[in-house]
Amino acid sequence: MLAIGALTAASSAGAESVLRVAMTAGDIPVTIGQPDQGFEGYRFVGYNLYDGLVLWDLSQGDAAADIKPGLATSWEIDATDSKRWIVDLRQGVKWHDGCDFTAEDVAWNFDRISNEDAPQFNVKQFAAIRNRTGIIDSVEVLDTHRVAFNTTQVDALFPYQLSYWFMISRCRLEELGNDYEAYAMAPSGTGPYMFDTLVPQERLELVKNPDYWDPERVPAHDRLVLLPMPEATTRAAALLSGQVDFIEAPSPDTIPRLESAGMQIVTAPYPHNWSYQLNFVDGNFAKKEVRQAANFAINREDVKALLGGYMLEGYTNIPPSTPYHGKPDIKYEYDPERAAELLEAAGCLPCEITLAISTSGSGQMQPLPMNELVKSQLDAVGFETNLEVMDWNALLDVARPGRENSPEIDGINISRALQDPFSALIRHVYSAQHGPKGSNWGHYTNAEVDALIDEIYAEFDPEVQLAKLTELHEMMVEDAVMLWIAHDVNPRALAPNVKGFVQAQSWFQDLTSIVVE
Amino acid sequence: MTAYIIRRILYAIPISLGVSMVCFALVYIAPGDPLQTILPEDASAETIEMVKKAYGFDKPLPVQYFVWLGKVMTGDFGLSIATGRSVADEVLKALLNTMLLAGGAVIVAFTLAFALGATAGYFAGSLIDRIVTGIAVIGVSVPNYWLGIVLVIIFSVELNVLPATGMGARGSVEFNIFRWDDFKFVIMPIITLSMIPIGIIARTTRSAVAEVLNLDFVETLRAKGLRESAVFLHVVRNAMPQVLAVMGLQFGYLMGGSILVETIFTWPGTGFLLNKAILTRDLPVLQGTILILAMIFVATNLVVDLLQTAVDPRLKRG
Amino acid sequence: MTDATLTAAAAETAPAQEVRGYWQTVANRLRYDYTTLFFGAMVVLIILSAVFAPLLAPMDPYQDSLLHRLKPIGTDPYLLGTDELGRDILSRLLYGGRISLAMGILPVLIATLVGGLLGIIAGFVGGRTNMVIMRTMDVFYAFPSILLAVAISGAMGGGIANGMISLTLIFIPALCRVAETATAQVRSLDYVEAARATGASAFSIIREHILGNVLGPILIYASSLVSVSILIASGLSFLGLGVTPPEPDWGLMLNTLRQSIYINPLVCALPGVAILITSICFNLVSDGLRTAMDIRM
Repeated sequence: MLAIGALTAASSAGAESVLRVAMTAGDIPVTIGQPDQGFEGYRFVGYNLYDGLVLWDLSQGDAAADIKPGLATSWEIDATDSKRWIVDLRQGVKWHDGCDFTAEDVAWNFDRISNEDAPQFNVKQFAAIRNRTGIIDSVEVLDTHRVAFNTTQVDALFPYQLSYWFMISRCRLEELGNDYEAYAMAPSGTGPYMFDTLVPQERLELVKNPDYWDPERVPAHDRLVLLPMPEATTRAAALLSGQVDFIEAPSPDTIPRLESAGMQIVTAPYPHNWSYQLNFVDGNFAKKEVRQAANFAINREDVKALLGGYMLEGYTNIPPSTPYHGKPDIKYEYDPERAAELLEAAGCLPCEITLAISTSGSGQMQPLPMNELVKSQLDAVGFETNLEVMDWNALLDVARPGRENSPEIDGINISRALQDPFSALIRHVYSAQHGPKGSNWGHYTNAEVDALIDEIYAEFDPEVQLAKLTELHEMMVEDAVMLWIAHDVNPRALAPNVKGFVQAQSWFQDLTSIVVE
Repeated sequence: MTAYIIRRILYAIPISLGVSMVCFALVYIAPGDPLQTILPEDASAETIEMVKKAYGFDKPLPVQYFVWLGKVMTGDFGLSIATGRSVADEVLKALLNTMLLAGGAVIVAFTLAFALGATAGYFAGSLIDRIVTGIAVIGVSVPNYWLGIVLVIIFSVELNVLPATGMGARGSVEFNIFRWDDFKFVIMPIITLSMIPIGIIARTTRSAVAEVLNLDFVETLRAKGLRESAVFLHVVRNAMPQVLAVMGLQFGYLMGGSILVETIFTWPGTGFLLNKAILTRDLPVLQGTILILAMIFVATNLVVDLLQTAVDPRLKRG
Repeated sequence: MTDATLTAAAAETAPAQEVRGYWQTVANRLRYDYTTLFFGAMVVLIILSAVFAPLLAPMDPYQDSLLHRLKPIGTDPYLLGTDELGRDILSRLLYGGRISLAMGILPVLIATLVGGLLGIIAGFVGGRTNMVIMRTMDVFYAFPSILLAVAISGAMGGGIANGMISLTLIFIPALCRVAETATAQVRSLDYVEAARATGASAFSIIREHILGNVLGPILIYASSLVSVSILIASGLSFLGLGVTPPEPDWGLMLNTLRQSIYINPLVCALPGVAILITSICFNLVSDGLRTAMDIRM
């Protein structure tokens, strides 16, 4: 199998087509299963080298991406036990090292991220995926291609969590004596690309997996080279000088120059919310009027101008193309008079607030100019905004423990990925998610919302579930649970000879369809 | 003299220990959790505790220091928290890339600055002297990262003749400075990095040459009827040791001080590694890089000192 | 940045023995050094323009206007164009001088006081105290200055205060050495020994005999550090380890404007020009001072 792969590579070496991608990451994402570097690591390393039991359908550009079968062909809740999921696995899938993929591999992969005593356990991998898999109590192997997941609580959204969990090859890791440092330089998965070389800090080269189980997604190019380039100007320069073919997130200011050089700019709205999570207990944002006033104070057109048009106005938690967006009663169009009235009604003039912001960070877009602009708009209607600037890690340090650790802060500017209903809605407003347990940093508490979320968790009929999710989102908008500014459209720039890329409305992207002419 | 050499070498030991202590302490005065890079943004308290224990960050600081020092003595700098790779490997690889820049910059600077400085020193007080002094002042005054940006603006953005960033299509592994395609990538970083040493070496050469020129033996040479060009050569040869010493120090300095230039040009050297380690708060990498760079600086100082003593035993100090 | 030469230069400066006449001579020499006088005047102008920035700046340096972002140099009414948020560059450069100059001068000032004091104590008391102080200094001296600055600021996080602390820390060892050398040289001179023998207090000996002799070398050295401090401080801000936005600071402006080099390259280069000019002026004044104070009797 390996030999055959090598032969094919050799025979086509003469006219090898190569796609070179500049990532925003500062380093190559780790290759041992769960990547680091945020969702960018998932996008370029995770879903390329590996597969999850559940995958994302990234083939469409005009609707929000949803999950689809991956290494699992189907999943369903046990008719008699709503805490037990039965999952059928795909037959005939082979690891890059030639071994067969079976149910035992799934159980082994679960131990890898949960059982401290297992030889394949890795604490970093444990930490990286714990949020998603913490709910799994045990994995049972039912037959060679069927497993059961027993969960600690009822969770109708469980399949979404499976989509973030990558399966790695037991054969390869055991061959290397369970040494992850060695495995990182010779990883083996089931994904559409196979590992070729890795130069730390510089490049990761993957080659196409001609035998990928999904024939639709066998890469249309031979080699994928991933290069870390954290500086936006560096990426632009690299594309202009022909060092790379595809760059992530060109800064808006470089886009006109890239366009004039014949580069293609692609964009798509995706579930990425640039907003402020608010403190619902300590400061002025405890009052709904103040939260609404802040939302009315924002002239999102100006923010859009700042970003050269590369954003979608954020009036709600999720972009309107999301299935559970619904039709919120209130729309926070720019209305400074109304904002001022609301502040007056709340008896908060001038209304002092402190926002914690970062100088950079994953998904933070252009944090400094955007925050400075937001501050000037808030101050124009009667707020007195104090920006507390810190580096990304310090901001995460404020965010993780919840508001109790930093009562002086009224809002935190952390862009969140809103990929699935839990990430998009529930974790921000559920009282069981109060920090430090979860992402409800500001301790939003609303009995009605909690009850609705409990219903969602127990609702296995997709249509009813969707209706309830829609209702939840509408409630969140009405109660102004965040200060919403923008949805990213994630511009990417492609060299003129790069064809066939469909930008999905997702954090993840499928590069396999790309043809390099 | 032997006694001095031994003393000087022995003296480097407590200094190195002190340096290791500073490196270790530095990263612990920092606020925040050292493990956050590998934790998802909404990791729970239970997850954090478990990871801390696995990395030994739950032990008291002095214990952590001695454990770390013991390993460092055997060349084990631990694993990067962010990438899980060996810190020693990463730093060594980056070190070679930085050495390429620092070495190139010192050679360029020396060639240029020595010629300029010697001429200026020989014609002290003349117009040439003033021009050279002006260049030297600009060299030490220019913010070199700004110069890097200006060069990128001119040669990459406007003229599009030199690559703006990185080490070329094949990366550092197959990098060959003698191939034009690769050489293009070092031109701007080396020019940028050589500005400060040009200023410093030119100044040193100028004053060394001017000083030697005032010594009695020069008059003796002239009295002997030596041609002026031969006198000049004599003078320059006598000024050389002092200049070479400064050049050596500059090399050590550039090895540790290239962070800004490497950041501008995304050059995968130690400075770039350091910058990344700071951003991600990767403690083992941060400690290891700073320690190794400081030790190189200590070693360069030591070597320069010893060489100087060997060349000129009058300089015995301490 | 100029560690090597500066130490060499400072060591060259022999302590002046006749204190009173010395300063007189220095002043006389400076009076006829037109280059130094000119650049000295420039330094004064730069400092004044920073101090009176609120009066001189044509606009509010914090006032953004997205309609007018990244205008080129000479766009009415923006004499030097605007930045990525449409703020007036000239006003920001003037205000930025306040922080950049403060970051250049204050750390040197504090380090001179602390380092000078430590050096005098080490040189005057000698023995074990000397060893403890000087060996500690040697450890910090074993780091290239920018590496140490980056390490300290990187560890403590950004901000003006942290930047100042790390700059101060990197200057103390060198200044301490200069002071110690000068003190030790004077200490063994006959008249100081004589003063000791008559039982004069340590404090009065230091004040009467030592301070005057140490002041020269320290001042020369410290003056040469100002431009180094400005450069390193702006470098820290450039790396995101120094001044935090929205404060105008030359290094930080360079950092944020760099994202726009494809739109308006000339404007992006301006803050660097400000740093360069200021740094040249301070360096030349320092050179002039050194020449004037380099008097061997």
